[in-house]
Amino acid sequence: MKRIVVDPVTRIEGHLRVEIKVDETTGQVQDALSSGTAWRGIELIMKDRDPRDAWAFVQRICGVCTTVHALGSLRAVEDALEIEIPKNANYIRNIMSATQTAQDHLIHFYHLHALDWVSPVEAFKADPAATAALQNTVLEKYRLPFAGPMDFDFDAYPKDFPKATTLYFKAVQDKVKKIVESGQLGIFAAQWWDHPDYSILPPEVHLMAIAHYLNMLDRQRELVGSHLIFGGKNPHPHYIVGGMPCSISMSDMNAPVNSERLAVVDTSINLAINLINYFYLPDLLAIGHMYVQKGYVDGGGLAKERVLGFGDFPDEPYTGIANGDFHKKLLLRCNGVVEDFGKGITSAVFHNLEGKDLADPAVLNEGVEHSWYTYPEAGADIHPWAGVTKPEYTGPKEGSKVEWKYLDEDGKYSWLKTPKWRGKMAEVGPLARYIIIYTKVKKGLIEPTWAEKMVVDQIEAVSKVLNLTPEVWLPTMVGRTAVRGLEAQLYAYINKYYFDKLVKNIRNGDTAVANTVKWDPATWPKEAKGVGLHEAPRGALSHWVVIKDGKIVNYQAVVPTTWNACPRDSKAGYGAYEASMIDTKVKITDKPLEVLKVIRSFDPCLACATHLYDVEGKELSIVHTDPYFKG
Amino acid sequence: METRDSLWNLFQKRGMSRRSFLKICATLTGMLGLSPSMLSKVVAAAEQKALPVVIWLHGHECTGCDESFIRSQSPLASDVLLNMIALEYSDTLAAAAGEPFEHHLQKIMQQYAGQYILAVEGGVALGDEGTYCMVGGRPFVTALKEAAKGAAAIIEYGSCAAWGGIQAAKPNPTKSVSVSDVISGKPIIKVPGCPPIPEIMTGIVMHYALFGQLPPLDSQGRPKQFFGNRIHDTCYRRPFFDSGMFAENFDDAGSKAGWCLYKLGCRGPEAYNSCGNMRWWNGLSYPIQSGHGCIGCSSNNFWDNDSFYQRLPNVPVPNHFADADKVGAIAAGAAVAGVIAHGALSAVQNSKRQAKEQEDRAGGMRA
Repeated sequence: MKRIVVDPVTRIEGHLRVEIKVDETTGQVQDALSSGTAWRGIELIMKDRDPRDAWAFVQRICGVCTTVHALGSLRAVEDALEIEIPKNANYIRNIMSATQTAQDHLIHFYHLHALDWVSPVEAFKADPAATAALQNTVLEKYRLPFAGPMDFDFDAYPKDFPKATTLYFKAVQDKVKKIVESGQLGIFAAQWWDHPDYSILPPEVHLMAIAHYLNMLDRQRELVGSHLIFGGKNPHPHYIVGGMPCSISMSDMNAPVNSERLAVVDTSINLAINLINYFYLPDLLAIGHMYVQKGYVDGGGLAKERVLGFGDFPDEPYTGIANGDFHKKLLLRCNGVVEDFGKGITSAVFHNLEGKDLADPAVLNEGVEHSWYTYPEAGADIHPWAGVTKPEYTGPKEGSKVEWKYLDEDGKYSWLKTPKWRGKMAEVGPLARYIIIYTKVKKGLIEPTWAEKMVVDQIEAVSKVLNLTPEVWLPTMVGRTAVRGLEAQLYAYINKYYFDKLVKNIRNGDTAVANTVKWDPATWPKEAKGVGLHEAPRGALSHWVVIKDGKIVNYQAVVPTTWNACPRDSKAGYGAYEASMIDTKVKITDKPLEVLKVIRSFDPCLACATHLYDVEGKELSIVHTDPYFKG
Repeated sequence: METRDSLWNLFQKRGMSRRSFLKICATLTGMLGLSPSMLSKVVAAAEQKALPVVIWLHGHECTGCDESFIRSQSPLASDVLLNMIALEYSDTLAAAAGEPFEHHLQKIMQQYAGQYILAVEGGVALGDEGTYCMVGGRPFVTALKEAAKGAAAIIEYGSCAAWGGIQAAKPNPTKSVSVSDVISGKPIIKVPGCPPIPEIMTGIVMHYALFGQLPPLDSQGRPKQFFGNRIHDTCYRRPFFDSGMFAENFDDAGSKAGWCLYKLGCRGPEAYNSCGNMRWWNGLSYPIQSGHGCIGCSSNNFWDNDSFYQRLPNVPVPNHFADADKVGAIAAGAAVAGVIAHGALSAVQNSKRQAKEQEDRAGGMRA
């Protein structure tokens, strides 16, 4: 048995460390530990702030999934203050959120995940003519011709389309050769390029993928047009409580939104559809297919047992989240928990999860058994609203406080808490969303919306390509990465769908973007509580706010990477990262590329995941009451 | 390094003449503010200067600055990463991870001692011996100090590295500070913004790649070409301020008409940044253009300067040294004098706030 440490885990957001114990004879990972190694204290910083400012502060939790915490916060504050936003603001926020996820998924695949699958060194060996031929084959064989409803389809032809000529691939290869020969590899330096996993794919796939890595690096910036127009910048676009700041007027030449500005958004949305349909999905499915054909259907871990979602995309404005209205209006009803999907759709069990359930401490709570915190009553998990947060940094098992050798898997080892659903662990993310929707539709629990139908169609189409049933390929490392691409396609069309709704509503004479009736804190109740839900790129996100006398008295965020990267629990078992590593084999103990690949299949976002607490050990603040009790 | 292209090699590859190369060198000499006698040195540098090695460290941050960096249009991210710099260490983009990656960092620091550029994103957590931000099993502050030793220059990318950032907002639970609070004796460029505009980030790399030296800096270490003016000075809505035409509420007639957002809390009058002139996405937009006031994200300690919707106190409207409420239509002829007086007054107001910030900061450090 050998213990291997990888720290820092790179090509992720934030600071993550993993330690694994590997059986050297079989290569099987026997135990694995995932640790969030930094925390910043943002929830504490929120105390005594103006709730109208909260979106901007918590937005800075993460600049990769920028917008998601702003949206979670706005929804929580609006839920607390009972503010219903105008139709246009709802559509615009949905556009910005779909934009974010589609763009984030594409960047994850090409710039954070691809180098686990492809190597510039292998690309060196490719035949450029064969690569051009391969490009054609990939486009013929691996496109998924699905689309959402489109009222205003102005995109005349696929303007961004993969180049499939020998000369082009030769030019890219020459550049790669130059970099390799120079010995100055820059971002390509020091990787285990000799790892056998890099020979799973033929050299031509490597060259094609490296070319697309560069293409997409230069094109991704154009996908966030909606953030620029509606929010003024990216990362970290601007919002306001009550709606959006971007007033619409077709009769003022200086208006934030007019026809010309809408055209910018439309062009950007169309570009995303093209890049996802012609680059991302074909590349992804071609690579995934080759992996599956070679027997790589591992790394599923917890996804086989339990996944969780909150649901998103309110099709129309809602009166509140806690009162249940949010969940009645959703386009994508992935709210709920599915257990045992790995045993097949008939054995899979669905449990509903709605606003009222989230308030129940028996349904949702957090533990700190292996986190660097302590609770007043050992072993008694606490609902996020009651948020007792007392740090207890205990250092490593071996090494010193400031020079770790090994962390202590038997004791405390992470700044992440352990969130639980009914005392159990659950995986969140695109894979969870797809499993939940697929299960709900297949079991006849919901009559699918166009978006939910597209989810089922996509899953069935890929099952056909891979010649495997969904329960076999979905809950795996490949499946987790593949579903992210399917979701990018879905969200690109959701983007278009809400853009069209926005235009039609403006056409009907409604230009309102903000409800400012309750802008003045004097109009607020003395005390109010709210919850904001959002399906962020990495999974189910919830923000919780308590407002008193016009100021924030408690703020909590339970984020996707906390669900997935959390430390183990003696009763609930392993979290999703740890379970997926244990469900993985490594070929070379000292070069655990397979483990990094499975970790990156989650798209880790650690700055999001670490809750920040007071160093002096003071309690952040305690709310003893039912969060949904609006007495 | 020697196998990487010099500026002269790049010219040759693009089939450009020696004559045009020398002409560019002469232009560069002028732009750098050097005397003509320095021309031969500039030519020599452009012929031989290898592309700079960059080490990019991450402290307490959100990675929004990396995201911004790769959103650059000119230069494009691929050109920066493959042809302008050798980015030898970056947790966000590097292929490698773990021990080999840390080993590579050590190797690069030795090999290019005294030559590499150190880019830092994120604040530096000092609380509890720096254990609130551990990288590779050691406090980030330790890694930062090691890397700073051999750096030719340090870039503080973003408001966290430059000022401490959001984690340093009250009550600063992790005792986070800026890079220059813990590192001294090195040339340090401050590039504030949350995040900075993409082309500001790559523009500094471009400047160094082209000219082989740091861009001219102001007294706080910020490049003058990007932080020389307040957003208020370059804002396309400034004429509405000068004319006393304000949005009073979000989504009112003034908001739709695109009037000045001063009364809705805009920080443009105290924020030094290029949002008004360069804008984001090569002139496409900036927060004010999208209807939201500037939150002053490039200013020191902007998180703790009142609510973002609280109107800045005492920013006088030209030609009327009272306040915005009392201003009606003004005579155009008097506006010029007003602008000058306005500038002087806001400078006074600015320095008052800065003095207060320094006080607060010192207090925070002692705490």
